[in-house]
Amino acid sequence: MKAATAVATIKERLLQGGALLPDTPENVVEVVAILKSYGVVLGYYWENLIYMSQTQFLVLFPFFKYFNGEINWRKLLRHWNHDRINYEFAEYCMRAMLWHGSPPLDRYLDSPEFAQLAERAIQAKIRGNFLLQLLHGFFPEFLPEQVKMMVYTSVLGQFWRVMSPLFLDLWERYQRGEIHTIKDVVDHIRAGLVQAAPQPITYGVKIRGEFYPLVPETAGLDFLTAAAVPYVEAVFFRSFPFMGTVSYNAQAYQIPADQADFTYGALYADPLPIGGAGIPPTLLMQDMRHYLPAELRQRYQQTPRGLGDVRVKICESFQKSMFCVTTAAIQALAPYPLTSTDPQERRANEAYLDQWLQRLRDSRLLAIQG
Amino acid sequence: MLSGLVGWPLLAMVGVWCCPAAWVRRVALAGGAALLLWTGWVLAQFDVQTAGWQMGEQVPWLGMLGLNYALAVDGLSAPLLGLNSLVLLLVLASEPPVVRPRLYYSLVLLTGAAVAGAFLAQNVLLFFLFYDLELLPLYLLIAVWGGARRDYAAIKFLVYTAISGLLLLAAFFGWAVLSGAGGFDYEALRTQTLGLGAQVGLLVLLLLGLGIKIPLVPLHTWLPDAHVEASTPVSMLLAGVLLKLGTYGLVRFGVQGLPQGWRVLAPFLAGWAVVSVLYGSLMAIGQQDMKRVVAYSSIGHMGYVLLAAAAATPVALVASVAQMVSHGLISALLFALVGVVYRVTGTRDLTQLQGLLAPERGLPLVGSLMILAVMASSGIPGMVGFVSEFMVFRGSWPVFPVWTLLAMVGTGLTSVYFLLLVNRAFFGRLTPALANLPAVSWGQRLPAIVLAMLVVALGWQPAWLVRWSEATVTTWGWR
Repeated sequence: MKAATAVATIKERLLQGGALLPDTPENVVEVVAILKSYGVVLGYYWENLIYMSQTQFLVLFPFFKYFNGEINWRKLLRHWNHDRINYEFAEYCMRAMLWHGSPPLDRYLDSPEFAQLAERAIQAKIRGNFLLQLLHGFFPEFLPEQVKMMVYTSVLGQFWRVMSPLFLDLWERYQRGEIHTIKDVVDHIRAGLVQAAPQPITYGVKIRGEFYPLVPETAGLDFLTAAAVPYVEAVFFRSFPFMGTVSYNAQAYQIPADQADFTYGALYADPLPIGGAGIPPTLLMQDMRHYLPAELRQRYQQTPRGLGDVRVKICESFQKSMFCVTTAAIQALAPYPLTSTDPQERRANEAYLDQWLQRLRDSRLLAIQG
Repeated sequence: MLSGLVGWPLLAMVGVWCCPAAWVRRVALAGGAALLLWTGWVLAQFDVQTAGWQMGEQVPWLGMLGLNYALAVDGLSAPLLGLNSLVLLLVLASEPPVVRPRLYYSLVLLTGAAVAGAFLAQNVLLFFLFYDLELLPLYLLIAVWGGARRDYAAIKFLVYTAISGLLLLAAFFGWAVLSGAGGFDYEALRTQTLGLGAQVGLLVLLLLGLGIKIPLVPLHTWLPDAHVEASTPVSMLLAGVLLKLGTYGLVRFGVQGLPQGWRVLAPFLAGWAVVSVLYGSLMAIGQQDMKRVVAYSSIGHMGYVLLAAAAATPVALVASVAQMVSHGLISALLFALVGVVYRVTGTRDLTQLQGLLAPERGLPLVGSLMILAVMASSGIPGMVGFVSEFMVFRGSWPVFPVWTLLAMVGTGLTSVYFLLLVNRAFFGRLTPALANLPAVSWGQRLPAIVLAMLVVALGWQPAWLVRWSEATVTTWGWR
């Protein structure tokens, strides 16, 4: 009963142009500050993803894929010491997208056109490499799968290349006094997503000086449908159960399409981790910890544990911010503007919101209502 | 030299009363540290190859009563003196009292002095005086700084321990009269010939008196209440050191002092030990209060000491001393950790605690140490609990195979109740109610860390534990 009332309150708030997250000054600073650190980290992630997609193409043992081309002993020691950006997190997200799939992207990746382009690039890459030729001869599906993974690596890199400056810009606007409410935050994110929505997603690699397109502009893939929406689906709603807790063969299309089978994503992540299923993206928290704005760090320090449980606090703040991103997506995909007063449009919007709220029923939405 | 072991805590006690209020804790800690250093020095002078008393000190006191101030150390008392000094310092370093710090630290120091005196006493009347001297401070420590039902627990402790003291006094008077020794000097009493009937009679009195202190079932009922109501440091003191006065007395006056009578009673004592072991373990399984679990565990584990003493083989006698020290370290560690959990969460109720091992917001280090402590208590190899319990079973097996087997069941039960405790309180998901626990300071962790290190170190190098008593107690056995 209590939960039903809370859900009704959230729905009403959305219909009035509000967000999933209550609009309080504390929430505003928390969300804006955490998105700033997220923006910085995403900057590192997308650079590495793009680097990998361009330079690690069909490198079967990419030992230095996280080094962005700068290999020296100092960096190696730092890598082993884990005092670095955990690029693994970006790869986990990429794999989550690969496994769960992006419908428009997968349609293209399963097309003969892509198979032809991929084979061309593979042949160029394995020319003069006896071992790879042998491998491709015996297992003809192996290298094309690797190419698909490289495509997803590039797609996620391109997605975060847009999102990183979007979040950093939000922080700058907040500091200039242009962001006051959660609604302002949602509007900023929505505007950024809308602006980037038609941006084409393309990918190609250079092999021995020659460019080999793999996802040409003619494939018709755009930022919103091929990258943003699948990312939200895979990472917000579905990912992170794959750390050894659920075993599916993604390549064999064994991952169920039903959303109800997945309630482990970022919005569901347990901020009190015990190392079991549904773990929060701890590596991300580890990275964001280095770039927390002073305002947020001070807030954390005033709590009983101070910075002792900072990663949990980051996880909680991050979830709040992700509910803002989700709000932006809900608003952008709504059949009509959510604040519409037209009875028919309002009914359609209510039905649309009911679906969303049903979907978020098991998330931590109610826990963040304060 | 030995008087320093009694004198340092008393000197610190005076210092606590004379120093400025802000210095009370520091002075008490300095006194505890000085005692530990002094103990180290005494033990460095102690010749482990020599069986019998060393470094004796004697001052005539009340000659007409046969009471002399006579102190000495041997292989039985040496490790227990070390245990007393160590636990006393850790108790002083544990959480400070909220009110009346002067009185609190004075009473703790007085208790430490009394225990050291009892371990060193060469005169049974002097032993009795020291034995009874710790009664009042401990009563006050429970009554003033205890929990909600502290009055009940303190009075119960007082009554039981007073009866224990009276029974001891009766036994010592009887011993002095029946032996015709003309005084209370222990060596004089021990070397007199005493009939078997008289020995058995005196032993019954001693067993009842010391059985309350150990405590043995069914004389144990004061202990769970005292532990539950006592503050954490007092529980550490109680389990770590004070209970050892009972087992020390049994080995000293029973095995060494009245060996013929002990031999007659030994089969009965072995059975009694096993009853204590199994009863304590089974009761521990049914508890919901963490402290009660540890308290009943204490009852069970002290039973092993009695079993080894009853067997009285050379290995068993060394094992009985090892088990006293081992139990002192492990139980003090367990109580220290339960105390931290209680202080941080505000509860010891196993139905409310969950997921405390959570890495960020739980108590991961405390949880890890708790797992180590329960493994040690369960006799897992690599820790001191294994060494002492294995020696107890190895030493008792040739004499009481059936009782030994049954006592081994107690070890299995230890694993059961401690796994239940760890599983309920530390594993699983941290509940939202426990999501905002305050951080545990290094000061709060320190006593547990020191004890845990010793538990592991003595598990890997048992010679550091048994070398003190091997030469002495192996000469007391008759098997």
